[in-house]
Amino acid sequence: MKLYEYAIRRLILMVFVLFALAVFIFYLTRGLLPPEDALSQFITPRMNDAAKLSLAQALGVATKSCPSYAAFIGQQDGCVVPLWGQFTGWISNALQGNWGYSQLPGVTPGTLTTWEAFAERFPFTAELAISGTILTILIAVPFGIISATHANKLPDHVSRVISLAGYSVPQFWFGYMLQIVFVLYVAIHGAGILPSSSTLPTSCGLCLSDPGTITSYTGLPVLDAALSGNFAYFWDSLLGLALPTITLALTTIGALTRILRSSMVDALHQDYVLLARSKGLRERTVIYRHALRNALLPAVTIAGLILAFLLGGVVVVEYVFSWPGVGAAAVAASTAFDVNFLELYVLVTAVILIVANLGVDILYAKLDPRIRY
Amino acid sequence: MEIQQVAKSTPVLEVKDLRVVFNTYAGVVKALDGVELTLNRREILGLVGESGCGKSVTALAIGGLLPENAKIIGGEVLLENRDLLKETKRNLRLTRLTAISFVFQDPMTYLNPVLSIGSQITEVLTSDRKVFQKELVDYRLDELHRMEQKGDLPEALRVEKDRLKAFNQSAKLPRKELNRLAKLRALDYLRTVKLPDPERVYSMYPFELSGGMRQRAMIAMALVRRPKVLLADEITTALDVTVQAQVLKLLRELKNEIDASAILITHDLGVVAEICDRVAVMYAGNIIEVAEVNELFSNPLHPYTQGLLASVPRPDTAAKELKSIAGFVPNLIFPPSGCRFHPRCPKKFDRCPAVKPPLVEVSPGHKVSCLLYGG
Amino acid sequence: MASDQPTPGEELPPSGTAAEVRYGLHLLWENHLVMAGVIMAVGSVVLALLSNFLVNPSAAGTNPNLPRLCWNNPFVNWNIQGINNCGGAVFPLGTDYYGRDLLKMIVLAIPLDLQVALEVVASAMVIGVVFGSVAAYAGGLIDELILRVTDVFFAVPGILLAIVLMTILGRTISNLTIAVLITWWPLYVRLIRSQVLSEKEKPYVEALRAMGSSRPRILFRHIVPNSIYPLLVQGTLDIGSVILTFSTLVFLGFAPSPVIPELGNLANQGIDHIATAPWLMIFPGLTILIISLGFNLLGDGLRDIFDPRLRR
Repeated sequence: MKLYEYAIRRLILMVFVLFALAVFIFYLTRGLLPPEDALSQFITPRMNDAAKLSLAQALGVATKSCPSYAAFIGQQDGCVVPLWGQFTGWISNALQGNWGYSQLPGVTPGTLTTWEAFAERFPFTAELAISGTILTILIAVPFGIISATHANKLPDHVSRVISLAGYSVPQFWFGYMLQIVFVLYVAIHGAGILPSSSTLPTSCGLCLSDPGTITSYTGLPVLDAALSGNFAYFWDSLLGLALPTITLALTTIGALTRILRSSMVDALHQDYVLLARSKGLRERTVIYRHALRNALLPAVTIAGLILAFLLGGVVVVEYVFSWPGVGAAAVAASTAFDVNFLELYVLVTAVILIVANLGVDILYAKLDPRIRY
Repeated sequence: MEIQQVAKSTPVLEVKDLRVVFNTYAGVVKALDGVELTLNRREILGLVGESGCGKSVTALAIGGLLPENAKIIGGEVLLENRDLLKETKRNLRLTRLTAISFVFQDPMTYLNPVLSIGSQITEVLTSDRKVFQKELVDYRLDELHRMEQKGDLPEALRVEKDRLKAFNQSAKLPRKELNRLAKLRALDYLRTVKLPDPERVYSMYPFELSGGMRQRAMIAMALVRRPKVLLADEITTALDVTVQAQVLKLLRELKNEIDASAILITHDLGVVAEICDRVAVMYAGNIIEVAEVNELFSNPLHPYTQGLLASVPRPDTAAKELKSIAGFVPNLIFPPSGCRFHPRCPKKFDRCPAVKPPLVEVSPGHKVSCLLYGG
Repeated sequence: MASDQPTPGEELPPSGTAAEVRYGLHLLWENHLVMAGVIMAVGSVVLALLSNFLVNPSAAGTNPNLPRLCWNNPFVNWNIQGINNCGGAVFPLGTDYYGRDLLKMIVLAIPLDLQVALEVVASAMVIGVVFGSVAAYAGGLIDELILRVTDVFFAVPGILLAIVLMTILGRTISNLTIAVLITWWPLYVRLIRSQVLSEKEKPYVEALRAMGSSRPRILFRHIVPNSIYPLLVQGTLDIGSVILTFSTLVFLGFAPSPVIPELGNLANQGIDHIATAPWLMIFPGLTILIISLGFNLLGDGLRDIFDPRLRR
């Protein structure tokens, strides 16, 4: 089957998986909690009971025939819509973007919708995740290749120890260790060399003060600063991004380096490498055109898993570095019982991961002509 | 790197007293114990022996392709009087690029699965621009001249001919042009190895071809750069008998068309009988007999050769039992002393364990390494 | 011919299970890193088993009179102004926010992580074996269904799913264990499934069918035992990973109480005092690192032993 047919088939599958996930999350949240909890994030402070009842009916949680809000809370017969019926109400509200009001700490209740709370934090997480991905690839690929071509010699040992340490280290601990070293102990101009938190630090040793403003094109501070031509802002944002990115990428660098090393070592022992050398090709050609092309395949297959891990890691990293993204907000949301925020977060992440996995599979098919879907 | 003009009688390749050892966890394997080989111009030399006797190691040593744990501890490999063992790595690589080609046993594993056949053929020609630039241009010009003699050239080709003639060799040929000429030459060779529809095969991938076709593609890959020496290591072993016959037929035809000398490594005496001119028999890291093919088959001197020939099952005799050579292939970490064959030799006598027999010429062109015949 | 040399061509390499085990141990011993890993992993297990004997569990009790956040280990100087001197007793790793001896707390905390890790990995393995082998062997619709279900779980990062579960279920240790298990089991289903799929194609299975063996018998008496090695390797590696995940979740605040001795919990206390009492973050995290590193090295070593290509 052709590639675009495969892509369409996968997209349809994605809809099903998302649907299944939505059902799962829905039953998890609605099913285990009393029905009035479903309203908690839609209620504004000045609603009276009648208003709450109509809200419950509008959301599809209470039946039209329910006499009063008190009856609804008491779960009187015929007052509460059965779970599978509530699902349609939930889905239609969700798809319209109606996720109720945010209960995140620091937000006055009823002022900010969950969707807005999510949307304003999302770009920061995106920035962190993207830079983590870039750093992972930038470091893991050369390390993996060098490790394999110098197998069992010093560069290989060093690289293996670093990558092993990388995925054995607790991310939160590493984040704080970096902070202790670079923010507390190593100092320039009387301040820690790197900033401790916030995306736009102005008081750190290497920072440039008074960075001015930028216009927001993409919502990602570093990118916007570059696009606005504001170097000071760009530089300060980059400094703020440095430590969180390193912490985030540490584990995935470790994993990717290992896989690349092992698949490169495998590839370099293959017969076609011997033939390539026997043809008198340059060693560089043999390594990149013959061995690496094949060694990338196993690495690409786990790319999806690595991305999933990265997206999970942002939760911890944002928490540690007080990064204003959705990850740190998720932890706070849990404490504040902002269930809608968590539901939204899970579904958005799922969409991203599924699309990314589809992209990875297509990439794999392009790299390996033997794959025919 | 200059190619010296040599007389036809000088051998193309001479291997003298080649000794190779391997460092393994189990010990030091003395794989090659003084191998002596001579390859003359335009001849196919068969190299026969059991598995593990060192045939492939010899070929890899000639090409400078031994693995890391191998060490060449003595001897010379003379390619037209240049000792390859003393060359720099870079010169060795260039030698492999232009003068020595390999064809290996299993085309499925020896071809890169993710690259097209065509690109694997042309990459040799285009990798080092300076090396093949002149040759590619000349080759194309020759072809255009030949076409011209058969009739008038169409406009496009005439323009091409003029452009190529005017090309100054000290300049850099543009990459697109280089690739185009390389592709044309590759297609030519795909035709030469009798592959149907060369244009299609050029863009196909190894997994899309049959075993026989893949092997032909490997042969084309080896011949496309017009090497002086072709080293073919068990190239028919992985093929069906019928396909084997086709490939051998191809090699016989190519032998006359192409000015190359080849060493054909095999354990199959039938293959040797089909296309080799001379044959060398190898045992446990030594060459123990060399002769012209007919001479070897009719008059084998070394007890091992005699045993080999006797063990080939023949449908025309009434023999009831299959004959074999007694004993096992020796462990080369602790090789037998003296003549390495003596533990299994039916004709051994008291001096055999003590003295290693040299390779002596018993009759013109027929050498043997056995104390029965001298040493 | 010298008599102390083996007869050329007549020796065979040693074989049999005893020889295999000896060779495996020999390989392990040769590799120093792996040996270090074995020591760290085994050491932490031993510590866990003995922890209640080495340290009286009452050391975890809180008491307003205990010296809080103090450091008086003479070998390490933190260069912090106004550091609390702990009064009389010496605390090798200082004290925590509640004034308890940090070293004792760490020792008391180790068993919990190891126990949870073991429970999660063992349960995930069982679930994985059951569903994975059924999926692989049955094929068709059942396989599709099981695969899609794992797809759903793979679409969400583990920590996120765990956070959602903890929010709904409430913060207890057993809920934490369940949450981690729910995020972990799909991996094993996939692993076993691919193992069984490749075993299924091997000639010996066809031979067994021809001899009349029934499918379940083939599955459980032949295929599963042959697929065990990658499972063992993955399980060992995962003990380290589960400890990381679990302690991170506790660190983020999902434990029932901040007083419970748990490595992530202890580190959590260090957040607010990172500048004034860094040991509270450093040492619990270091312990997690050592345990996780030990199991990762051990898992790597096992993988090398079981890899037939590396044998000589």
